[in-house]
Amino acid sequence: MPMNSDVKKPIFSSYINNTALFDEVFKTNGAAKNVYQKLFELYGNHSIQDYVQLNNKAKSSFFNQGITFQVYDNKETQEKIFPFDLFPRIIDEDEWKIIESGAIQRSKALNLFLWDIYHDKKIIKDGIVPLDLISSSANYLHQMIGIDPPGGIYNHISGTDIIKHSDGNYYVLEDNIRCPSGVSYVICNRTALKRALFGVFNHYKTHSVTNYAENLLDILESVKPKGVDVPNCVVITPGMYNSAFYEHSYLAKAMGVELVEGRDLFVENDFVYMKTIRGPIKVDVIYRRVDDQYIDPLEFRADSSLGVPGLFAAYLKGNVCLANAPGTGVADDKAIYTYMPKIIKYYLDETPILNNVHTYHCSRPIELKYVLEHIHELVIKPVDEAGGYGISIGNRLSKAEIKVVQEEIKQNPRKYIAQPIMSLSVHPTYIDDSESFEQRHVDLRTFTLLGNKKEFVLKGGLSRVALKKGNLIVNSSQGGGSKDTWVLKK
Amino acid sequence: MLARVANNLFWMGRYIERAEHVARYLNVNYFSSLDAPNELSQSRQFVLQSMMFLVGEPINDDSIILKEEDILFNIGLNANIPYSIINNVKYARENANSARDLISTELYESVNKFYHFVIKYSIEDFTKKGLYDFTVNITEMTAILRGKIRGTLLHDEVYAIIMLGINLERATQVIRIINAKYNDAVMAKGSYGDKISHSFEWTTLLKCVESYDMMRRYYKKTPTSISTLEFLILNPDCPRSVINSINQVYKHIRVLDESKSPDKNSTAFLISKVKGEYEFKFAEEIEGDIQGFIEKILNSLVQISLKMENEFFNY
Repeated sequence: MPMNSDVKKPIFSSYINNTALFDEVFKTNGAAKNVYQKLFELYGNHSIQDYVQLNNKAKSSFFNQGITFQVYDNKETQEKIFPFDLFPRIIDEDEWKIIESGAIQRSKALNLFLWDIYHDKKIIKDGIVPLDLISSSANYLHQMIGIDPPGGIYNHISGTDIIKHSDGNYYVLEDNIRCPSGVSYVICNRTALKRALFGVFNHYKTHSVTNYAENLLDILESVKPKGVDVPNCVVITPGMYNSAFYEHSYLAKAMGVELVEGRDLFVENDFVYMKTIRGPIKVDVIYRRVDDQYIDPLEFRADSSLGVPGLFAAYLKGNVCLANAPGTGVADDKAIYTYMPKIIKYYLDETPILNNVHTYHCSRPIELKYVLEHIHELVIKPVDEAGGYGISIGNRLSKAEIKVVQEEIKQNPRKYIAQPIMSLSVHPTYIDDSESFEQRHVDLRTFTLLGNKKEFVLKGGLSRVALKKGNLIVNSSQGGGSKDTWVLKK
Repeated sequence: MLARVANNLFWMGRYIERAEHVARYLNVNYFSSLDAPNELSQSRQFVLQSMMFLVGEPINDDSIILKEEDILFNIGLNANIPYSIINNVKYARENANSARDLISTELYESVNKFYHFVIKYSIEDFTKKGLYDFTVNITEMTAILRGKIRGTLLHDEVYAIIMLGINLERATQVIRIINAKYNDAVMAKGSYGDKISHSFEWTTLLKCVESYDMMRRYYKKTPTSISTLEFLILNPDCPRSVINSINQVYKHIRVLDESKSPDKNSTAFLISKVKGEYEFKFAEEIEGDIQGFIEKILNSLVQISLKMENEFFNY
């Protein structure tokens, strides 16, 4: 027992509510918002010391389960856990309906868009999206022109990055439809929170997040090649040194399918087989976590040892399904993003449910001029980078740095877009250094699955927290953490 | 199951088992030597030489003075030495990592904890005062791992592959330990004033494979060379005996190869052949030519492993 238990500080005692930011939990008068009131009360019963103990337990649970990533310094590799915050984020039923229907709407529109640009290109002929945006994209695969993917689906798995702006509305920042990752952390976060603070779940009706894998398997089976009765699905990973290997192995295990590497597969007469202890077994659907450029050294990068020679030819023959389809990357290009409202209207004849952030194209001379003159109030993003790399936030740059960015944009305007600096909502997050809760910016990555006459959005998602004070970039590669995210049942 | 992953799981089983035997050998030899009945088997050099013999690096030159801390470090925690316990554990976890989707969460978590226990262990503590603590923890953690393997995995081909690795390694290590202790008994012969057949080393040998209590219960007499060899090699009810391991190997290979009469080039056929040979042996035959026996059986085990590689892991 601690000697001076009487001096234990309540958990939110030193929380500073900066009302200039949109706090998801506390009103401007400092009271907890309705949906958080019970949670606030329950957490309020804990002192900071109790909380630190719980926090450490949760951390060691992650560590022992090997849910870690490697950090390399000059001498040895170290294993670190992904920072996880025990104070959950709550999204109520009404708000969730908007997010869910909005995410499905976007996924469907993107799928129709992909079909179109690899077939008739009507949207270009009708002048909605300019041709050069497609033809100049490094992710547009001419090999896919005229190809019908099994089940008609390109983007089976989408990760949509959504923020809540200071106006209280949700905005989409990015659609990730190549190999979006993070879903395994949604499930780990829930498990860790349940282990540490099971009591809090008694007071809220929260949707489960463990049904993702079964739905993913349903989706994969729904896009089986023609003539296959019971499809053999596998997950392909670049290998155990890939930073997302835990997720690959989790998904394979949870679906009960094999986790393969490129070297486990081979192609014969345009069919794909895996090498098992009982000889070759045909593979029908591959959930691939290997990028387009690496899937087949005969078709793409010849130096790739991660892929399978002949895989793409088997795909073109319709003998195997790849999820996501090759060439989907063209549609998660940040320049295409800006056309999303128009794309949704064009294919679905609907108004977008989720807002887009206004975007300036540096490829357009008038907008380029505006961007170059207003860098200090804009976020500059390269169109084809993932993981938060290459982003410049204007109001954080010195004059000299602004000059450098200006030059880079002028050199290659097609490579950049710019958006107003969005004020991401903040959520109380426990900060180790100060041993207290502080406001931190959060976003939300939702996971949407699209199959042959099936669709699914995981009720929850990965709330990513920028742990550095004031930081707006939440990606884990940039020092971000995450929170369990509760979607409430009515 | 993927051939590559099967190979990894097979070796995961082998490395877990190997780590355990090496750790127990260090523990039992070191601590039983402290009050051994004669001067030679009490001497530090004798014990350290025996340890080096077990890991396959025999010291044939008596003029070399071995330093206790170096030997313990090399066998226990030196990551640059292939036979060290730390490397066995690292390999075991690496193999578990690559088959993470196939093994249970519970088993993986235990392998992972095992790994972190070993890599975090202070080298100074281990070589100066932690030998007992370290080695006992290793043997306990491997027992937990075996429990998780048996209790949290479906008893299908994944399980069979791991058990094949464990049992082949167990047979190999038990024979290596018999070899090392036989070697010690020969060296310490003159100092007992009695015959090699009643050497103190037989008791140590039984303890090295955790079979001393079982043996006492079975024979109710002080171990001799004959009774020890009979028990550790030929008694099918002793869970550490060579024949018991071979029987297990046979049982698990039949999960992978269910054919009624296995092909003469198959692993199952070879295992049946080896099994048959030792089912009908008696201890005196072995005692007569113990070196010959050791070479022959080790060779058979290597052949079985190579056959498995060809038949199942060839990817």
